[in-house]
Amino acid sequence: MMSDRQQLSYIASQAADARLNVELETEGMTLNIGPQHPATHGTLRIIARLDGEQVIWAEPSAGYMHRGYEKLTEVRTFPQVTTLINRIDWLGSFANEVPFILAAEKLMEIEAPPRAQVIRTILFELSRIANVSLFLGDLGVQMGAITPVFLAFRDREYVLNLIEGATGGRFHPNFDRIGGLKDDLPKGWIDETKQVMKKLIGFCDEIEDLLFGNEIFQSRMRGIGVIPADIAKEYGLSGANLRASGVDYDLRRDQDIALSYDKADFKVWTHPDGDSWARCWIRLQETRESCKIVQQLIEQIPAGPVMTKVPRIIKVPEGEAYVSTENPLGEMGYYVVSKGDLGPFRVKIRSASFNNISITPWVLKGVYVPDIITILASLYFILGDIDR
Amino acid sequence: MGLVDKGRMPAPLTKLFNMSRSYSLWVYQWGLACCAIEMGAAFGSPRYDVMRLGVIPLPASPRQADFVCVSGTVTDKMAPAVKRLWEQMPEPKYAISMGSCANCGGPYWDSYSVTKGVDQIIPIDVYVPGCPPRPEALLEGVVLLQQRIKNEDMQAKWKGDEFTTLQATRAAERGELSAGEPTGQTTHDISTDPQPIPERDRPQPIVVGGGPIE
Amino acid sequence: MIDLSRSSWVVAPLSDTETTDADAPQALPGDGLREGIVDDLRQRIGDALIDSHIVPNDDLFVRVATDSWADTAGALKTAGFTWFSFLSAIDWMPSPYGKGEEDPTVEKEPIDMTIKQGVCGGETRMQVFARLTDLDRHVGITIKADVPDDKPVVDSWTGSFAGANWHERECHEMFGIGFNGHPDLRNMYLPGEFEGHPMKKDFPLLARMVKPWPGIVDVEPMPVQDEEEAGGDES
Repeated sequence: MMSDRQQLSYIASQAADARLNVELETEGMTLNIGPQHPATHGTLRIIARLDGEQVIWAEPSAGYMHRGYEKLTEVRTFPQVTTLINRIDWLGSFANEVPFILAAEKLMEIEAPPRAQVIRTILFELSRIANVSLFLGDLGVQMGAITPVFLAFRDREYVLNLIEGATGGRFHPNFDRIGGLKDDLPKGWIDETKQVMKKLIGFCDEIEDLLFGNEIFQSRMRGIGVIPADIAKEYGLSGANLRASGVDYDLRRDQDIALSYDKADFKVWTHPDGDSWARCWIRLQETRESCKIVQQLIEQIPAGPVMTKVPRIIKVPEGEAYVSTENPLGEMGYYVVSKGDLGPFRVKIRSASFNNISITPWVLKGVYVPDIITILASLYFILGDIDR
Repeated sequence: MGLVDKGRMPAPLTKLFNMSRSYSLWVYQWGLACCAIEMGAAFGSPRYDVMRLGVIPLPASPRQADFVCVSGTVTDKMAPAVKRLWEQMPEPKYAISMGSCANCGGPYWDSYSVTKGVDQIIPIDVYVPGCPPRPEALLEGVVLLQQRIKNEDMQAKWKGDEFTTLQATRAAERGELSAGEPTGQTTHDISTDPQPIPERDRPQPIVVGGGPIE
Repeated sequence: MIDLSRSSWVVAPLSDTETTDADAPQALPGDGLREGIVDDLRQRIGDALIDSHIVPNDDLFVRVATDSWADTAGALKTAGFTWFSFLSAIDWMPSPYGKGEEDPTVEKEPIDMTIKQGVCGGETRMQVFARLTDLDRHVGITIKADVPDDKPVVDSWTGSFAGANWHERECHEMFGIGFNGHPDLRNMYLPGEFEGHPMKKDFPLLARMVKPWPGIVDVEPMPVQDEEEAGGDES
């Protein structure tokens, strides 16, 4: 939390503001941030009513990237839906396909073979690393430090190379199929993955030195945007945001689905503070844990096929199923309603950023204008995830 | 410049101006969706460096930019902002449409809230197809735009003339090309025919990877 | 008090008060945890709990009466389901437009327009459904309720879960369902001039109706025939 000196200066500035407001009768100003702004991760528009430099009321206005996913899934077949939902969270794309495929497999009552499950988990963690490493780089840009983002892009290229080597696409791989994966891994992929994971752990150490130890970073992030645990649960925050408020819940460890997390040994990080610094710090630790998970799972890929026997034209039997996984942004789930057709009847996409950002009107009351940017940066959202 | 309005500019001077313009482009990154990440990788990462082509990806304001790279899905809610942005840019300005969502609506062609192609709002010079296009594809789009700029006749463009490439204006003066005559070709492949052909009206847009546009 | 701990799981045939997944393999132990949750909920809201469906060791669906939609939220929150996942609606009417991928020259078959609800049944065309999770016991629950056809209004969940605010706004915009007690029910995603509720099945996707499916094109004759004729002329 804030030191005594910080608290005293905060109180003094509040008192100065109050005095000024009494002496000068000034009206509040309405500030419009976005929708095109270098600091918002896409087209998010925030309307803030200010009193001097403090926010009285702030509201995000979403919908600038609303593409109508849920309506589009109703007119597509299951493989076509897989192609489409890659693009919801467009940084870690493989992670979007997995819960939908698992829900469809649950309705069909089949399971992918063990080799496919392990490779799915590895690609899932690789997409998490690709996603969060850009977050770590972007964190600097939100505050005016431009160097980390170049490092992030450079090191992310290694991971994208790996994903491209296995799936054929840098992002939007469209590699998951109902019943397994499209193809097997190419030769030499496993050795290259081991090298890249070492590089990524080095990148995490570099970012920790550059950013997290920096005094300016700490004073801008510590004590800002505190979210207590019960408010976080009411709003449905998930992922690192929830764990930063002290709630020990990680779907990889606490849920029993057809991914191979039980074969790897990893730690779930929590932090009691619930401020912006805690959220960013947890994501850094989670990136390291992801690298370690991949390093462990790479040694344990079993031999065998990558696809079970499924009919060529897939018709998923009637029923409803909900599967959610621990995606890079939080908890992402798909509620699939099927009527035995070639395509789903209704798909409800539970995206993590929608809930994560719904808390902004609550958390942005009373903060200063530069803190708006840092709080949104620490909550970490992708516009495709909010707007679907 | 005064020279542009008064008589003719000598051809070497036009070529010099065109060359210097094409090698010092400032691009405004209008990154909306997934293509914005590939655009960031092309413009900002050390691997697909765009600065070696002379393009500076840094202006934060459209008023200082030479061309805009629209990357990502344009929704109906966002369309007025795109139009306002285009109007804010000073002439001469160009536009690259990156990705299939910006070209034609892309995978969301049947959605109720997506604008089927940003060329419904602003005129586009180069289309870069892909979902998302590789950063190298975007760089090729930039190179094609540079070649187009090198062939432009600035005086004709300022006056709003019918033909705006150097070859076309000279051919029109020699009487080889008359108004209203179709040239018979919509695009050409620079790799096979190094001499650009005269074009009608605003130059037809280029598609990276060849192929005609109907 | 009902003992909800794992040690109390009953390894016995499932009780006949709950419906179960018909395709489940035999000799599965009963899902004591989820059955206990359903019994607990029945104690709290009584007759409002209309139906429930347990997928053993996997998932839990319940359907409640429309009048006690908001009370169920409060009851479940005190029962331990403190984490709000999502809230949305399903329109059970089949789409009258199909996909628009058929050959327009061929006559279309009539579409079967009977409304058939899913798990836990239902009586109306539209249903709201929500999902909550208990973070301590690692259990999720899906709650459904009917929305009356003549006047599609239900109570709001914002009293118990503040996070339902945005979800109800989106549901109102997409399905046209009103929420009593919601502080600020306005459009979430769509611009102000948009008319209609897109997620309802009778809202057509115009692009599919205006433009014929590109897969149906006139197929040109194979070039082999022309070459043969040309070869015949030359010789």
